[in-house]
Amino acid sequence: MPDGTVLDILSPIDLQVNAGEVVAILGPSGSGKSTLLGLLAGLDQPTAGRVTLLGHDLGQMDEDARAALRAGRVGFVFQSFQLLPGMTALENVALPLQIGRRPGAREEAAALLREVGLGERLSHLPRQLSGGEQQRVALARAFAGDPAVLFADEPTGNLDADSGRRITDLLFALRDRVGSSLLLVTHDQQLARRCDRVLQIDAGRLQEAA
Amino acid sequence: MTQAWLSLLHWRAALRDPGLRLLIAAVLVAVAALSSVAFFADRVERALVEQGAALLAADLVVEHPEPIPQAWRDQAERLGLRQARSLGFPSVIIIDERPLLVQVKAVEPPYPLHGRLQVDTPAGRVERPPALGTAWLEGRLRDRLAATIGVSEVELGELRLRAAGTLIDEPDRGGNLFRLAPRLMVHYDDAVRSGLLGPASRVRYGLMLAGDAKQVDRMRAWLADRLSPGSGLVGFENARPELRVALDRARRFLSLAALCASLLAGVAILLATRRYVDRALDGAAVLRTLGMSARAVLHWHLGQLLAVVLVATLLGSLLGLLGQQGLVALLGNWFGDTLPAPGPRPMLVGLLFGLSLAVGFALPTLLRIGRVPPLRVLRREMAAPGLKTWLVWLLAGAVFFGLMVWQVQDLRLAAWMALALLVALVVLTLAGWLLLRLLSPMRRAGGSAALGLAALVRYPHLTLLQLSGFGLGITLLLLLTVVRIDIVDTWQRSLPETAPNHFLINLQPEERTDFAAMLEARDVPNSGLHAMTRARLVAIGDRAVLPEAYTNTRARRLAAREFNLGFGAEMQADNQIEAGRWWSDTAPAAPEFSVEQGIADTLGIQLGDTLTFDVAGQRVEAPVTSLRSVAWDSFNVNFFVVGSPAAAADLPVTYLTSFYLEQATQGLTVDIVRAFPAVSVIDVRPIMHQVREIMERGARAVEMVFLFTLIAAGLVTIAAAQVSRDERAREVAVMRTLGASRRRLLAAVLAEFGLLGLLGGGLAALLASASGYLIAVELFGLPGRVSAETWWFGVVAGTLVVALVGWLATRRLLNVPPIRVLNAG
Repeated sequence: MPDGTVLDILSPIDLQVNAGEVVAILGPSGSGKSTLLGLLAGLDQPTAGRVTLLGHDLGQMDEDARAALRAGRVGFVFQSFQLLPGMTALENVALPLQIGRRPGAREEAAALLREVGLGERLSHLPRQLSGGEQQRVALARAFAGDPAVLFADEPTGNLDADSGRRITDLLFALRDRVGSSLLLVTHDQQLARRCDRVLQIDAGRLQEAA
Repeated sequence: MTQAWLSLLHWRAALRDPGLRLLIAAVLVAVAALSSVAFFADRVERALVEQGAALLAADLVVEHPEPIPQAWRDQAERLGLRQARSLGFPSVIIIDERPLLVQVKAVEPPYPLHGRLQVDTPAGRVERPPALGTAWLEGRLRDRLAATIGVSEVELGELRLRAAGTLIDEPDRGGNLFRLAPRLMVHYDDAVRSGLLGPASRVRYGLMLAGDAKQVDRMRAWLADRLSPGSGLVGFENARPELRVALDRARRFLSLAALCASLLAGVAILLATRRYVDRALDGAAVLRTLGMSARAVLHWHLGQLLAVVLVATLLGSLLGLLGQQGLVALLGNWFGDTLPAPGPRPMLVGLLFGLSLAVGFALPTLLRIGRVPPLRVLRREMAAPGLKTWLVWLLAGAVFFGLMVWQVQDLRLAAWMALALLVALVVLTLAGWLLLRLLSPMRRAGGSAALGLAALVRYPHLTLLQLSGFGLGITLLLLLTVVRIDIVDTWQRSLPETAPNHFLINLQPEERTDFAAMLEARDVPNSGLHAMTRARLVAIGDRAVLPEAYTNTRARRLAAREFNLGFGAEMQADNQIEAGRWWSDTAPAAPEFSVEQGIADTLGIQLGDTLTFDVAGQRVEAPVTSLRSVAWDSFNVNFFVVGSPAAAADLPVTYLTSFYLEQATQGLTVDIVRAFPAVSVIDVRPIMHQVREIMERGARAVEMVFLFTLIAAGLVTIAAAQVSRDERAREVAVMRTLGASRRRLLAAVLAEFGLLGLLGGGLAALLASASGYLIAVELFGLPGRVSAETWWFGVVAGTLVVALVGWLATRRLLNVPPIRVLNAG
């Protein structure tokens, strides 16, 4: 803090997510959900403690090594979609495959977009798509390359109830096909109920939900 | 596949970014401005190089103020060199009672030794010099005096020559810039017999030599010890030095104009990059989550930047190729009738310039992208640390200064230009800041104008940047158009109605009485007869005057050549003593000199120094007893150095005068030339007309380059508007949600940018008026005047243009549904 005091965002946490497991972290705004997600995904570093992702101790890796670990093996879905605005739906989905230097990236991306029902929208820019459609593109991008782990931050937070339900169905369908571990943070109880395990976070403390 | 290549794969996505599009436009404008000048200069340079020896009509030319000594010709003969004598001088000729000042060139076979002489005669095209008793007339001379080839007779001094052909081309003619008087070509022996080659005739003799390169070098070495101070050797490597100097100056000033456009384009690049980076940060964070390293993300964007700069440079060069056609149309024939096609070098110059501009203005800002934390995908407030703003501007300024020095090839000129730009920018920024402070209470007023004004005050640094960009662009345009025309008009008005319009030189002492009687009989107002001689300054005190002792070009020229030394008992009315005293007040019997202040400064002459002149082998020595300022634009007879009557004793002098002739008394010129064949009457009106035309065309060429400056100023405004576009979009969306009509928001945008234009134009008018006033008073000694046109043009055009540009830059915001903007967060 500017006055020199130290603020604890998260209390000591001991969490293990197994391969193929689906875990939801529930909590109100400001409870530390996104901070925890950032730490688990290697987007941020804890001031104390250890995070292991896919057998790698993230604290022992520099930022470039953590990025290389994410490439093709970790997927993300965000509340605000985070599509690159200048790229078409196809280009957005092909991007992680190209970064991972996978041959046939565009064909694979097109197949994924068809799977999420956007076969007719391949060349559309994000601004030409509705919110639900944008999140479907984001889902297709997240599952491109069949990631071992998928992190989702409030994936239905920016959508109406109907669109949110369809995105949830799609998310679980894709996860079932790929078999990824899924860790999602949400305050949507219905979404949480579909997960294998639900954790509750409040004021930085994590505990199994009742 | 590297990340840079991957970024190229997504080139279409990059082009969709408005910041990058603006960056392309800015690089394009800067490169177009600069390469149009580079292409033009390249064509002239290639003409100079390609034509080589033909520009000289020989391998080596010996220039000499006196007839070429026979010994020199004999030596050339011994070395087996071909040779031809030539001479040139200005004189007045008469054809069918019509007089005209011409530049006489006299040659003998086998001129030209290189290149082709082309003359149209009634018998067809010939390529030889005129025979004895005949003359070749340049086309404009033939037309001006309505001469008929094969029939008309040319009166040249004591001779009557037949106009036998029209001179189409001569290899060593140079360009039109230096040809104020039309050409008359005669045989060498005819010129000698004309009686016009007296001491004050300004004749220059030449010996043209051609042959084996080794023998030419031996001749050159042989001549080296024999040349006198007024002589010179010209080889093809330094042929047409006046063309090279003119090209150098033209390139320098046009480059400065282009650099003004580049500076504004650079500011636009800087702002556009900021906008691009702001928008790219989210995407860069996403790329990091997708597994890209920070370096790879930076390479991705560098690849895109490099690609667009290359494309923009290419397009800018093509636009420059079109632009140089305009420069060639305006200035091309100053350097010859036909210019070769440009080479590839200007493309390379444009590429390097575009890349340097991008590196200096875009790279420091772009580096932020490589520092974006991946956590930004979850926490948008996570910023990417960048360089300090002042450091970004300092780096850009340093790179730009480097580009200036590179382009104008003159550190001092570049430093002055940079200082002038800096002062203008500081004045604009301070004045803008002050005006914004003064206007800020208006924020509390209601209405659309207040909304617009509030936006200006809310983004003060952007407002000041826009003001500076537009203010600078409009100031430069105003100075070149309205203020320049105003100064020329004021100068013309400052001349009296009967200011002398003719000069007469080379009147012999014995002809004075008859000549004065002729003027008196015709009632011609004149400045009186003034004695003069041609003299070379050989010593200042004990110090010998040697050209190589001076670094200043003008001083070297003055030290090398003879110049007019005047004599008189009375000081001219338009002179003013700056130091010392005029001799009529003290001891008129003593030999003394009075020196013009400017030339005294140039040559390092102090009051009290003893000057020694060489007048045709005779030495004259006297102290400097006064320093004078001279009103050169009065058209009276004036001299750099005037001697007391006692200094002229025993010297061979001729007389000169200036007088005013009305159109009705033009016949007097013919009578004068017939009665006194050795004199030359110079009508300065056509010369003034031509000088003015040269100034006009030069200024139009600079104006043309300044059009790029105006476009660049527009880009700065668009770029500045885009930097705040996201905030503006949210403001507009909120206002529309709260019920503001599109019409009202449009009015607010127009008020905001109109006010910006009003301030920018007003400040530009102020700067241009102040600069114009200073230029008129300090540089030209004219009465200072502030024209209403400057203010009208600055304020009205500034307001309208900036309002239009601002509206174009923001109109799309008004068409976006508010919900889309608000949902986008």
